[in-house]
Amino acid sequence: MGMVIVSALRGVSLQIEEGEFVAILGPSGSGKSTLLHVLGGLDRPEEGEVLIDGISLYALNDNKLTDMRLHKIGFVFQFFNLLPRLTALRNVEIPLTLANVSEQESVRKAREMLELVGLGDRIAHRPTELSGGEQQRVAIARALINDPKIVLADEPTGNLDTTTGGEIVRLMQRLNKEKGQTFVVVTHDPSVAENANRILFLKDGLIQGEKEGAGGAHQ
Amino acid sequence: MRRKQILASAWQNMKQRRFRTSLTTLGVVIGITAIIGLASLGEGFRVTIGKQMEQGFELNVLTVLPGGILTGVPSPFTNDDIQNISKIDGVTTATPIIQKSDVKLFNGDKTSKPLVMLAVNFSEFWTIYPDRLAFESGSLPQSIRNDTSIIGYNVQHPTENESFAYTGQNITVQITFRQTLPPRRENFTFNLAGAIAKSGAAGFINFDDAIFIPMDTAKELYNITNSDMIFVKIANPSYSDSVAKAIQNRFEGEEDVRVLVPAAFLEQVESVLNMLQIFLTGIASIALLVAGLGIMNIMTVSVMERTREIGILKAIGARSRTILTMFLTEATLIGILGGLAGIPLGYAIAQVMGRFLFRFSAEVTPRRSIITGATTHPLMEVSPILSLEWVLIAIVFAVGVSVLFGWYPARKAAKLDPVKALRYE
Repeated sequence: MGMVIVSALRGVSLQIEEGEFVAILGPSGSGKSTLLHVLGGLDRPEEGEVLIDGISLYALNDNKLTDMRLHKIGFVFQFFNLLPRLTALRNVEIPLTLANVSEQESVRKAREMLELVGLGDRIAHRPTELSGGEQQRVAIARALINDPKIVLADEPTGNLDTTTGGEIVRLMQRLNKEKGQTFVVVTHDPSVAENANRILFLKDGLIQGEKEGAGGAHQ
Repeated sequence: MRRKQILASAWQNMKQRRFRTSLTTLGVVIGITAIIGLASLGEGFRVTIGKQMEQGFELNVLTVLPGGILTGVPSPFTNDDIQNISKIDGVTTATPIIQKSDVKLFNGDKTSKPLVMLAVNFSEFWTIYPDRLAFESGSLPQSIRNDTSIIGYNVQHPTENESFAYTGQNITVQITFRQTLPPRRENFTFNLAGAIAKSGAAGFINFDDAIFIPMDTAKELYNITNSDMIFVKIANPSYSDSVAKAIQNRFEGEEDVRVLVPAAFLEQVESVLNMLQIFLTGIASIALLVAGLGIMNIMTVSVMERTREIGILKAIGARSRTILTMFLTEATLIGILGGLAGIPLGYAIAQVMGRFLFRFSAEVTPRRSIITGATTHPLMEVSPILSLEWVLIAIVFAVGVSVLFGWYPARKAAKLDPVKALRYE
C-alpha cells in the first residue's frame, strides 16, 4: 500500500502517502530531527511503532532494520555527511557497495545518479573540492542510489545560502516528481516548507497542525 | 559489503594515517623480528649442537662402564662378561678397553704427552670405529706384536708443525705406576705402527690424545686380568634400548654397571635445546604482546576519530558486522605487514648474531675438558635456520595478536549508536 504510519514522540501520529512530499516545520528543539530519525529507523522509540510498506520497523532485529535503511530509506543531512576521503562517485557508491552490487554496476549507477543531480562533470572531486550545494547534491544522489521508498532530509538547506538552498529544494521536488519517491523534509525555514505538498507543524514533540503547501496536493 | 572494497578502504585509511600506521606496524615488526631471530638462532644452535654431538657419538656404539664412577670397582669386566655381551641379540662386536694415564713418550730428544693410554684388541677395536680411526700415516698391522703402538693426532703433533715419530720407529713409553708408594717409573720400547688422523672425541674418550697399545701387553705390564670398559657395537641404533637393557640384566646382582646410550643422550640434549628454544621464543612473544597493546591503543583513537564516519555508514545501511570487519581488516593488514617485514629482519639479525658469536669464539683459546680431554670451542659458529614452520607460526602470531587486540576497539566501533555518532564532533 505504500503507507507510512507513525505514532511517536509525545503522541505524534501521522500518515504519509507514497510519493508525497511532506515538510515538517518547527523551531529548533521541537523534536523534528528525532522524529526524522525515528521515521528512518535510526532511533528506536520507547513506545509506538513505524510502519513502512506495512513492515513495523522496530519489530525488526538490528540487521533487518539496517537493511531497511539500506534499501528502503535514503538520508540527506544538514551537514551533508559525505566521507571526506572519497570522491563524489565513491561516496554515491557506498550504499551499492554495502548492498553487494558489483563494482561495474555500481560505478555505472552512481555516474548516472550524479548526472541526474547535475554533477556529471564533478564525479572525481572530493567533498572539500565541492561547494556546499554540490556536496548536498552528492548526498542526495547517495540517498537515492538504492532507489529507496522514502527520502528523509534533515535541514537539507540549513547549511546553504538561500539561492543554493532553493536549488536543492527544487532538485528534490523534481526527483519526487520524476521518480515518485516519498520525500520527508524537516526544516525550520518556512520558505523551504512552502514547496511541499503538505506541511506539518511540529512543536514540543507534538504536531500542532498541518496545511497544504505550494507544491500542491499530492495526487 | 564487497570484500575487495573493505580491503581497499582499510588500506586507504592506513595510508592516510601513514605515520601512525607505520609506528603501529613497527611494534609488530619488532615483535616478529625478536621471535624469528631467536627461533632461527635457536634452531641453528640446536642443529649445530646436534651435529657436534652426532660427530662425538657414534649412535651404534654403546659404552659399558662400572656403575658409580667414584665408588665402583676400577676394573670390573672379565672375559666372560665380554663373551656374554657379544652374544646379545643385535650386538655385532663387544671389545674391552683398559684405560691408563701417567704415560710419557720419548723419541730421541722429542717428547709427547698423551692424556690417556688405551689398551685394546686392535683388530676388534678398529672394526668399531672404522671411519673415525683412519690413519694419517702408517696402517693397522696385519699381525699385532706385543710392542705394537698407534698414536693419536695430538700425540703425533704436540705442536702444529711438529711430528713426534715416523712409522716403524721405536719409541720409548715411560709409565708411572701408582699402585706402589712411592710411584715407580719405568721405560718400555714400543714400535710405532702408525698415527691416526684428527678424529675428535668419541663419547668420553678423545682418541686424538691417546696412545693405543695391545690389550695383552697392558695386562702383563699392569698385572691385571680385567678391563675398564666395554665398547659394544650394535647392528643398528634402534637396538640401543634393548641391548642396553640386556647388558644391565647380565650384571644384575653382580655388579653395578652403567650403559651409555648415545641415542638416548642425544635425545635428552635435544629436548633441553628444544625447551631452551621455546623459552627464548616465549620471551620474544612478550614484545609482540606489547605491540598488540599498541594496536589496541591506536585503533581506539582511530575509532574515536572516525566516529562520525562510522555513524554515517551505519545510518546509510552498514551493518555492525561490516564496521567490525572494516576495523579488523585494518588490524589484520597491520599484522600481515608487520609479520612480512619482521621475518626477513629477524632472520638477518640472527645471521649477524650467529657471525658475531663465531668471531667471538675465534678470540677464545680452545679449552680442554677435564673429564674427556676433548678440545672444544666454547662458542661456535651458529648459522640460523628459518623453517617454513616458523614463518607460518610468525604470520599466524602477528595476525592473531593484531586481531585479538584490535577486537575491542573494532567492537566498540561496531556498537556505536548511529544517531549519537552523527552528532559527534
